Amino acid sequence: MGSMFDLSAAVRLYLLSCFVVSVDITLGLGQSQDTEFTFQLPAGRTECFYQTATKNGSLEVEYQVIAGAGLDVGFTLISPSGYKLASEFRTSDGIHTVEPTEDGDYRLCFDNSFSKLSEKMVFFEVIVEGQPGDAWGDEEWADMAEPESMVEYKLEDIRETMDSVHRHLERSRQLQTMLRAFEARDRYLLEDNLWRVSFWSSMSLLVILTVAVTQVYTLRRLFDDKRVCKP
Amino acid sequence: MMLTAPGAGIIILFAWLSPSNALYFHIGETEKKCFIEEIPDETMVIGKYRTQLWDKQMGSFLQATPGLGMHVEIKDPDTKIILSRQYGSDGRFTFTSHTPGEHQICLHSNSTKMALFAGGKLRVHLDIQVGEHTNNYPEIAAKDKLTELQLRARQLLDQVEQIQKEQNYQQYREERFRMTSESTNQHVLWWSIAQTLILIVTGIWQLKHLKSFFEAKKLV
Repeated sequence: MGSMFDLSAAVRLYLLSCFVVSVDITLGLGQSQDTEFTFQLPAGRTECFYQTATKNGSLEVEYQVIAGAGLDVGFTLISPSGYKLASEFRTSDGIHTVEPTEDGDYRLCFDNSFSKLSEKMVFFEVIVEGQPGDAWGDEEWADMAEPESMVEYKLEDIRETMDSVHRHLERSRQLQTMLRAFEARDRYLLEDNLWRVSFWSSMSLLVILTVAVTQVYTLRRLFDDKRVCKP
Repeated sequence: MMLTAPGAGIIILFAWLSPSNALYFHIGETEKKCFIEEIPDETMVIGKYRTQLWDKQMGSFLQATPGLGMHVEIKDPDTKIILSRQYGSDGRFTFTSHTPGEHQICLHSNSTKMALFAGGKLRVHLDIQVGEHTNNYPEIAAKDKLTELQLRARQLLDQVEQIQKEQNYQQYREERFRMTSESTNQHVLWWSIAQTLILIVTGIWQLKHLKSFFEAKKLV
């Protein structure tokens, strides 16, 4: 009797541990794990990052150079078996997706060795998705949270929360539209600037040349006019 | 069931502490690696790291080397140090931003003995979570006694709040960008006009000066 009780308690402990470990993995891996870093890449150096992936998952890498003369960097993506999946030389941004992924560590390298002086600031994001059919998603909360008590629950509460979320999202969307308009305007302004800088610089160049020619011509005229023999 | 509670607690503690399958990189002995996080104000950031040392004999990376720690230094947008602490081989650091902007998180190992690294490198698994990703929902559920539906709703609200905060910050940055652009525009215009004027004036002055010079020297 006692041993049977121990057995069932042990089994329950084992099951709970397995469950919690899977929660642990879920909290780490999740259905989709998103890591993003912004770092300074010194001149003449290469920095590598490694990401562990599981079989038949997917891996997405997106990077952008956000500061540094030239705004470019070399990028390579190497699979766990040593196969070079992507190799870009001096690009300012890129996005690569690997699907399906092999088991092991993928290596991403950012190369700034071509630059002697300028340090680059690189932003990159790695999104790893676990195996398809990964049903752990949000099921773990069902057991962590209090049991549902439909009697106390009013549809009103749900409706209110949904409404609040909806209003916030609307506000978000409006703000986004406004920002998009500003960005477009700023971009057009800068493009105009570029045209204006080019135009006025060439005007300036013309003025320099004209002035130089006028100077030389006037000087020569000075000599020509007074070329009268002095007695 | 009484036995399972502390067991579960310990495992949850590990989940809290160690980044399971995060990105990792190699760091040299005296090397300092810095990461930049651009965040709005009043945002919480939690960073978790795990280190492994290369063992030449075993030819692989060892788990949790004792005595080897990492020094974490965090600077706010005004380059003032807001956190500068030593952690063990596995650590968790957290801070809340009070000013919006670029915060810099720097890590370097505190090892002074060359022997410890022995020409190898230290592997650091790092995971940085920002904003509502720092919320521990099972803990919130337990504290506020929420049902699953309420917990999901809470998560959605937190996410949306974070998005809104980041957008407000975006608005502020965009305004600064616009002011910089407009001032660049003005500068370019004024400098070009000034240059042209100076050029013409210099040209005329040169001619006048040379003319009077030549007349003085009786060449002309």
